[in-house]
Amino acid sequence: MTPLERWLAVLNRQKTDRVPTDYWATQEASLNLRRHLGLETMRAVFEHLEIDCVVSVAPRYTGPTLAADADAFGCRYQTVDYGTGHYRECVHNPLAGYDNLDAIKADYTWPSPDWYDYGGIEAQIEGWEDYPVRGGGSEPFLIYKNLRGQQQAFIDLIENPDIVHYCLDRLFGLAYANSSRIYETLPGRVNLSYVAEDMGSQTGLMMSLAHIREFLLPRMKRAVDLAHEAGAFVFHHNDGGIRDVLPDLIDLGIDVLNPIQWRCKGMEREALKRDFGGDLVFHGAVDNQQTLAFGTVEEVRAEVRDHIEILGAGGGYILAPCHNIQAVSPPENIVALYEAAREFAATSA
Amino acid sequence: MAKNQALFDAICHGNRPETVEIVGGIVADGGDAVEALMDSMIPAMRQIGDQFARNEVYVPEMLIAARAMQAGLDILDPVLSTAGHEPIAKVAVGTVRGDLHDIGKNMVAMMLRGAGFEVVDLGVDCDLEKWQQAVDDGSQALCCSALLTTTMPYMETIVEHFRSSETKIIIGGAPITEAFAQKIGADGFSEDANGAVSAVEACLGISA
Repeated sequence: MTPLERWLAVLNRQKTDRVPTDYWATQEASLNLRRHLGLETMRAVFEHLEIDCVVSVAPRYTGPTLAADADAFGCRYQTVDYGTGHYRECVHNPLAGYDNLDAIKADYTWPSPDWYDYGGIEAQIEGWEDYPVRGGGSEPFLIYKNLRGQQQAFIDLIENPDIVHYCLDRLFGLAYANSSRIYETLPGRVNLSYVAEDMGSQTGLMMSLAHIREFLLPRMKRAVDLAHEAGAFVFHHNDGGIRDVLPDLIDLGIDVLNPIQWRCKGMEREALKRDFGGDLVFHGAVDNQQTLAFGTVEEVRAEVRDHIEILGAGGGYILAPCHNIQAVSPPENIVALYEAAREFAATSA
Repeated sequence: MAKNQALFDAICHGNRPETVEIVGGIVADGGDAVEALMDSMIPAMRQIGDQFARNEVYVPEMLIAARAMQAGLDILDPVLSTAGHEPIAKVAVGTVRGDLHDIGKNMVAMMLRGAGFEVVDLGVDCDLEKWQQAVDDGSQALCCSALLTTTMPYMETIVEHFRSSETKIIIGGAPITEAFAQKIGADGFSEDANGAVSAVEACLGISA
């Protein structure tokens, strides 16, 4: 089976030859891995480790010139060196100082869908015909937090709901337009739509179900329906302990749940599989906070075996790191992850 | 029941204007500032912290409650000093070197202030020099936060630096576990902002 066939078999609840795998990592972790394996490209790594990775497509920005440290929303970023690598962190929030909606409407210029060129998207998947394609989707509250500042964005849910509704309408609208254009450019070829939002912390939800239902779910529903109309499965990324919102998300129509941070409260694998395995395909789970970063090869192998047996029982699982593999992770652990996936991955789907 | 239920409720509900009005009224009338703090305001933050730990309230509700509390403290602090009220202890909080994430650290700072500690917020990306300066300025405990697996190893550097001193090191953050805290020899660990207060109290030998 090709990687694409393997993914589609799992998503369509059909038999596969083995549990599919995926790859998420920081640039530094990937560079360490290539050096460790003596390989020049990530394509070579994916083929060597038999990783069923996903190809992501995105338009090219062709709007007004941006400062080197800014994005199209006017947020500014700083590259922070943490020793073994770096992260690009948002350090300027263009809507931070506003306390009323009229002022935002008067002062702020939203990016336009016409600032993006979709002409190069077909070329992005040339040579990747055997792999799944991801395109479109939404993650607007993430952008909203960068626009308003992390703390103010959460406070707004209580004190400035009008600002939240207005901004999310604009952000979801941009995402919808972007997704539509991608699906039009690659009709029938987009397999996954990234309809995402981070709602969880290590110990539970970060905002109440009432707020999630008021501000996020109705707008996410449009994104979900658009993806399904285009023939794509909805890949829902949602970090942390988010068990309490899963019934709502299943009603919304999500197909794949990522990242399955099983160390978080409420995210125990056996219970997730038992309660939601009939409605969701699980993606991720291999712990990047402890196991991949600080564990032994034997611990990585044991965890992979457990995930396949628990989350993969009867199918419905795509094995991957539970988020980007971090730079501190030994490349030996990454290799062990994918070698164990091949060794243990005979599926009973 | 709190001594001043209206003040207690105003903080719990994150009502900053009402908190300011009530506390302002107490001060203007020459009322008992220490009693307002100890019998109404601190219990309010303790309740909201407990509710947060039980997932009954969430980050937005915590933030506005803490903001209301801080607004009340801003009015009370000069009066408390005059009345001879001392903070329980002085604690510094910060996010470790290489890490800019601060919302969790900010919530710990709010909870510690709400519990009666004097809190020095060192901000983010804090290297050893900043932590040492905080100790030199009188902090008895250091609360170190990290969000990333790539920055949490710096906590061991901090623990090593202060190992032979009396300074207590309490750590927390998304990837931090009790096992990691024990491995590096930290004095305390908390998995959330509410628990941080208990951890600091335990490390400094303060009964709640």
